[in-house]
Amino acid sequence: MVDARDISGKQKQIAVSEFFEKNKHFLGFDSLQRSLITAVKEAVDNSLDACEEARILPNIVVEINRLKGEDIELISQDNGPGIPRDAIENVFGKFLLGSRFHAIRQTRGQQGIGITGVVMYAQLTTGAKTRVISKIANDSSAVFVELGLDTRKNRAIKSKERREVWIDENTGEEVRHGLKISTIMKAKYQRGKQSVYQYLRMTSIVNPHATISLIVRGRDGEILEEGKWIRTSERLPRVVEEIKPHPHGIQLGTLQRMLRESEQRKMTSFLRHNFSGVSVRAAKEVLSTSAIEDDRVPKRINSEDAKKLIASFQKVKLLPPPTDCLSPIDDLLIKKGLSKAIDSRFASTVTRLPTVSQGNPFQIEVGLVFGGDISADGPIEVLRFANRVPLMYQQGGCALTKAIESIDWKRYGLDHPGGKGLPKGAAAVLIHLASTNVQFTSEAKEAVADNEEVFDEIRKGLLEVGRGLKNHLKKKDQRKKAKEKFELVNVILPEIAKKTSKILGREEPDLAPVITQIMNAVFCEEELGWDKERKLATCSIKIFNYTARARAYTILLKWPENENITMVENSNGGRKEARGIWAWRLDTLNPGTSTTISVSLSGLSKGDWTDTDIFFRGNGDIIGATKIDEKILEEIRKSEALTAIRNEISESESQEVNEVVSERELVEKEETNNSDGINIFADFEEGSE
Amino acid sequence: MSIVGQRKTKEEVKDALKDIASEMHNKMEKGVPPSMTLPVRSKTNIGFDNKLGVYKYGKKKSTRDATSLGSARQLLRSLHVTEFIEQMIDSGKSSTLREMYYISEAWGHGKFGSQNESNNLAEDLEIVTKCLREDFKLRPEEDGARIIGNVTFEERNRKGDWMRINCRDDVGDSGYGVPYNVEAEKLTLIEEDVDFIMAIETGGMFDRLVENGFDEEARCALIHLKGQPARSTRRIMKRMSQEWNKPIIVFADCDPWSFRIYASIAYGAIKTAHISEYLATKGAQYLGITADDILAYDLPSDELTKQDLSALDSELTDPRFNTGYWKDQINLMKEIGKKAEQQSLAKYGLDFVTDTYLPEKLADIGLGY
Repeated sequence: MVDARDISGKQKQIAVSEFFEKNKHFLGFDSLQRSLITAVKEAVDNSLDACEEARILPNIVVEINRLKGEDIELISQDNGPGIPRDAIENVFGKFLLGSRFHAIRQTRGQQGIGITGVVMYAQLTTGAKTRVISKIANDSSAVFVELGLDTRKNRAIKSKERREVWIDENTGEEVRHGLKISTIMKAKYQRGKQSVYQYLRMTSIVNPHATISLIVRGRDGEILEEGKWIRTSERLPRVVEEIKPHPHGIQLGTLQRMLRESEQRKMTSFLRHNFSGVSVRAAKEVLSTSAIEDDRVPKRINSEDAKKLIASFQKVKLLPPPTDCLSPIDDLLIKKGLSKAIDSRFASTVTRLPTVSQGNPFQIEVGLVFGGDISADGPIEVLRFANRVPLMYQQGGCALTKAIESIDWKRYGLDHPGGKGLPKGAAAVLIHLASTNVQFTSEAKEAVADNEEVFDEIRKGLLEVGRGLKNHLKKKDQRKKAKEKFELVNVILPEIAKKTSKILGREEPDLAPVITQIMNAVFCEEELGWDKERKLATCSIKIFNYTARARAYTILLKWPENENITMVENSNGGRKEARGIWAWRLDTLNPGTSTTISVSLSGLSKGDWTDTDIFFRGNGDIIGATKIDEKILEEIRKSEALTAIRNEISESESQEVNEVVSERELVEKEETNNSDGINIFADFEEGSE
Repeated sequence: MSIVGQRKTKEEVKDALKDIASEMHNKMEKGVPPSMTLPVRSKTNIGFDNKLGVYKYGKKKSTRDATSLGSARQLLRSLHVTEFIEQMIDSGKSSTLREMYYISEAWGHGKFGSQNESNNLAEDLEIVTKCLREDFKLRPEEDGARIIGNVTFEERNRKGDWMRINCRDDVGDSGYGVPYNVEAEKLTLIEEDVDFIMAIETGGMFDRLVENGFDEEARCALIHLKGQPARSTRRIMKRMSQEWNKPIIVFADCDPWSFRIYASIAYGAIKTAHISEYLATKGAQYLGITADDILAYDLPSDELTKQDLSALDSELTDPRFNTGYWKDQINLMKEIGKKAEQQSLAKYGLDFVTDTYLPEKLADIGLGY
């Protein structure tokens, strides 16, 4: 890959325009269509990142206007913090600026070369200057400026700079803070799978907190395409922590540079301060394994010794890197994001716990939507994301796609001819890979490279949502049958009895034994609802005993328990069996009787809780519920314990109390648990069939 | 058991219907789901009745019981229909099957989903009670056939008077319209001066023969079947064949659906196999158009469609077509892959059918003139 320092540094002063020309294929400016998408992408990514940092809920408007020939005007406006006057030149005029190339954390802007590329592309293709309006909240007026690039000196040329009050053209109101960019470039607007529309649609799915709109106009001002995706969540993604690199992911060159630039005087402190996951004890072990004295000055470590260090990193037990540098979207928010872009009947999403591959923390999120407006013809839609950035090209060669193809979807209710390629049907699958270091197949950064750990994590996520789909389909079928039976015994049968009695002038028979014989089963019916007044998600579970014997059961409900979601009402008491599993031991249900359990949850919004699982413990089947597998419960408890240990680790690491005593123990705990896999439903599913 | 000639009284009909309700009620009193027992109504359960000479339902029975929603609804509908019929009998009214379908709108959960459902249920009730649709005061929507020829009937009109009608002299070009009820209480066969009766599938051919004066020339009565013949059409042919002892000749298109029209006339229809002996005319003969005719007369023809082919295959496993003649015809038709319409005979001119084709074909079966 291109090393940023070689270009932006002072050492080599190659012409930036030359660099751009040579590399435009992987900078995203290789075709007229793609150039437009890339330009929009750079602008929107910047806006989302800026809003996130400033904790502002983003409103982004993208306008595309066709002008004469192949010229296209691109306008992008946000309500972000704006850019201070002094920084404008740097943001728009310098290639590969900014700390993100050195810091290890998850950001969107790891792709491409930023907004500077857009300024450059416009200048190269049409000679147009890029007009920028920037307003920061503290200033009384906005900065209006036009920007070009001095490609030899790698800096921006400002012109026509002025300050005045910025009135929004659409609302007629003064803009308090925000940024507007407009420029003219050679480009082509196209509809379809690889379009600006699709890019923004996908972006809105993984940014449920953003409101994004698009308007595309033809030469005569007529509207060619329009889209508006309104935010479905007021929750901004959490601020991600920067972390130091983990020794497992370090390469020799990087290590040497770090050594060279270090200011520490001792090797232990160098290791402790420049890496994550290295405790005092581990640093000492690394040094002794490498036969390097602690008092060597890091700056003077030669390449021989650096190699030894790299080797020792693999031998010594190290703590995994912290994972709070990742910003997963959160499964509930993915659900909301998906619902904002796709109308479906069923959505299942999962956020896996973070894991580490070669020293790089990563986290997988998977979503599956089914039914509704989705077309049932042809392969399912695949929505790929790396660090919240949509991947729109090279779908076939991407590890995320391969992971989808590796699942036997027939088992989960999708059509999957020959078990090869993508499954077919009215479904869309979303995969989000969040990582401090996403490995791509090429510099174009459109396809994720194969990585066994990433692949396995995705598979586990997919199996989990697949299992959800299967349950959904099964439940739909069961529910239909149960509904029919209910109608039969509660409506039709009594009418038959009434009619025969009337026709024959005889007394109506007692129908209880007839009903028992027709149903001969225990039924369970759950209803999820929304209490508008009190903003509570409600669930009522009704159990009918239509058998000839008395029955006793424990009913278990799966609910989306977390720090923010609590059970505020519960008609039947019961107890918590595990995280997200509540259990009620019911009194004996006599033949022909029924009972109802109802609960209300706070912390959810309308439409968050639309599907759940009911389990039971006891003899005989319940139609509409699944017999609980105690193994699953056990695994959930294990996973809970693991999370607790993780929290413990991060606490003890920050405090570093009793480090030497507890560390080994924790590492071992961590490892035993890790080997079991964290996501239990998925593992179980694989093993059980 | 034959129904013909033993028409039931109103009370008997009501009692027969009440038996259905009793069966259900008794079951419920015993604590078991209510049910109704019916013969299986498909080609797998029809067999030739040697005594009657027609195809009847066999011994396969199916029980419709209230263990599934669909069946339970059918039972409820049966009870609604029972009640409705009782009311009609008591008030001296009748209704069409279609009217009953609309009336069922008021039956709540017992209402019909489609007209077909109500027609089928009426047939179910006939089968179970061994009554006729006419006993239930239900009449069909479809009109009966048209007849032209020197035959005379007496029909009781709306005023209750008997009207004498000669089907050659007292009718216009459209002929005598056969009423839906052709039983003795409504229609009497008076006299005839014909040698045979020819049933014609299509209106176009019927009109051609009428225009060419074929009824007088060949001394026959012409009946327009209007596609799959209505019950009253089949019944009046049966009565003419029986009471006047005249041969019945069927002249239809050459396609699989026409073969079925013939089978329903000669052997009995699958749907009405419970009253085959009352509707079917054993000895009715298929005159044409045959697959041989397509070749022999070099008739303009159409390719057999996929549906045609599967209909032919289905006929090969239908016991009614299990004869050497039909097997040959069906196989030949499959072999040449063609079908032809009656009116394709017009290839040789408008008079060809009456001057050449029919005389030749009739001579083959000994009805030359």
